[in-house]
Amino acid sequence: MRYAVLAVPDFALHALRRSEPGLCGRPVALVAGEGRRARLTEVSREARGVAPGLAVTLAMSRCPGIVLRPRDPGAEVEAHRLLLAAAFTLAPRVESTGPGCCTVDLRGADPARSEALMGLRAAELAGAGLPLRAGAGETPLLASYAARCADPVLIVRDPGSFLAPLPLLFADPTPGQEEILRGWGIATLGALTALAKAEVGRRMGPEGVLLWERAAGESERVLRLAEPARSFAAQWAYEPPVESIEPLFFKLRRFAERVALELRGAGFVAEKLSLTLLLEDETDHRREFRLPEPGADVEGWMRVLNSHLETVRTAARVAGVRLVAAPARPQERQEGLFDAGLRDPASFWENLARVAAIVGDDRVGTPVPIDTHRPDAFTMERPAEAVAPPAEAQVHPARGPVLRRFRPPWPVRVVCDAGRPARLEAGRLEGRVCAALGPWRGAGDWWKPGAWAAETWQVEMEGGGVYQVTCTADGWSVEGMLD
Amino acid sequence: MPGSPQTVSALRSLLAARFPERPRRPGGGPAAAVRSIDDALGGGLPPGRLTELVSAVPSGGGQTVIARLLGAAQDARQRVALIDGADGFAPGEVPGDALRHLVWVRCRAPGEAFSAADILVRDGNYAAVVLDLRGCAERVLRRTPASTWYRLQRAAEGGCVAVLVQTTSPLVPAVPWRLVLETPFSLADAGALREAVADRLGVRTERSHPPATEALAG
Repeated sequence: MRYAVLAVPDFALHALRRSEPGLCGRPVALVAGEGRRARLTEVSREARGVAPGLAVTLAMSRCPGIVLRPRDPGAEVEAHRLLLAAAFTLAPRVESTGPGCCTVDLRGADPARSEALMGLRAAELAGAGLPLRAGAGETPLLASYAARCADPVLIVRDPGSFLAPLPLLFADPTPGQEEILRGWGIATLGALTALAKAEVGRRMGPEGVLLWERAAGESERVLRLAEPARSFAAQWAYEPPVESIEPLFFKLRRFAERVALELRGAGFVAEKLSLTLLLEDETDHRREFRLPEPGADVEGWMRVLNSHLETVRTAARVAGVRLVAAPARPQERQEGLFDAGLRDPASFWENLARVAAIVGDDRVGTPVPIDTHRPDAFTMERPAEAVAPPAEAQVHPARGPVLRRFRPPWPVRVVCDAGRPARLEAGRLEGRVCAALGPWRGAGDWWKPGAWAAETWQVEMEGGGVYQVTCTADGWSVEGMLD
Repeated sequence: MPGSPQTVSALRSLLAARFPERPRRPGGGPAAAVRSIDDALGGGLPPGRLTELVSAVPSGGGQTVIARLLGAAQDARQRVALIDGADGFAPGEVPGDALRHLVWVRCRAPGEAFSAADILVRDGNYAAVVLDLRGCAERVLRRTPASTWYRLQRAAEGGCVAVLVQTTSPLVPAVPWRLVLETPFSLADAGALREAVADRLGVRTERSHPPATEALAG
């Protein structure tokens, strides 16, 4: 799986419900439009007998006691930030696709771990009032289809059998296309993709080809990456101002859930919390808490905040609240007195695995030169957990500029004068040699297959630059630049 | 049981003698161990910032800077990541001891290098991340969207890692520090001690921006 989509169905409704304690467990519906044109847009499960699109008056008669509310943009922003924070705990490349929907580039991440994390995040967000649906697949589109079908997590391992029974509406056909396909007796994605793509294109044009590709889940696109949170803070204005402590607790818990996830996604924990109560008389009450143990544990934070708030008496009503967490790197292991080990081993190995998935397992690690005179002989090994203390000074310290290799070496034609390189002729490096050092002759492994022999020169070109050229049985080549 | 002041003092003296520690620089970033660069940057690579080092001439010394940085990081027992855009690093050129703390990423294309940098800069276990883009096709690098660089800068700002970007021409938009290596080596330098070679490196500061004091939480 290469992409994951985290989506919250009926996002605006759930965002509103999680911001108001009184709406929990009650029939609620969102309303759009004015007067007689007002219609329900999203409806909670508790509202029996009503559905989106219904007129408000009809809804009130069918479901007495239903709470009708307009959308709350502030609550939606806060809920979307929580969703985004959850996405950043999966991988650093995240797109904020739309309200209540994020797409995550999972390439390089461990699939089993990603699946487990998605399940964990779904449970956490459900507890925070956002019923998350997470889907994963080979393309962003396939992942979004999976998210629409998930409960709460669905990984698409066999796209063909997953897509086949899905209704055609998943591929978002235009009304005209839908009518044509209904006339052909096609009602599912599988039925559409069973037709040849070229034939569909011939009959329905380029739009038909795009529809076919969407039906096959093949549509690729470049993600518009979102920036992870840089400040770990949350703020809310109460309208009207509040007098009791319960609304404060409720809002602070919601803030804590989001800020803790943002910290975890960025690899931080909180070492300090700063609480500000903005009062109606335009003064404020501020308090800073140094946490007994730095962490991103919501319950721990709430214990600290609750025990303080229970003792607070303010001169005026509370018009707003702000919570700021000071980030710090987690201390994952006990360091020895003279040890210089990893600060966060889990993150170190996980990130190396991600990089290895991008460049290849054999192209990441710590290089270890092999004990041979063969040029450029080394192996790649697993990096050490601790940085060793410096070795004693070398008997023969390094000399001269450092070689930067060209891999593979550049083939070159060398014109020699009195046995010394006098001119290089090749596509990438041409010119007169103004000075040459060498030759250094080496050979080895002559007793086994893979024998090598090379004559090496260092040459300074008239136009600038010092290069290392080598003559082997295959001819001359430029090994690199002394840089 | 509280120890006597004499005992504590003796223990401190013993530890200081057996485990001498190098003085920390005020900035806290890793030293490049190249005098001209450290002088230009005010003591070392600035942590939480990008520094662009442009090798404007062939044999300008960019690879020597990497070798010196590895040595200095080893002395300070810090970890370094080298993201090698064109796979040009030669491990045999650096003493084996100075490689143990190195994580080398051998990329085939700039896209791989940017993806790897995006991950490693956020890691938190590295004192320095070197993104070496020399040898990568210029026209490909020029097509890199500015948002990629801004994203890398934002990622670096979130932590305490110093990011050194090596290029052959100015490339990074709005980079706080841009230094240009303009003095090419000659064959006469081949026999000199590497420390002396590094001291010969000439650097021109094209852009400098002393880091502002700002809280991590912004």
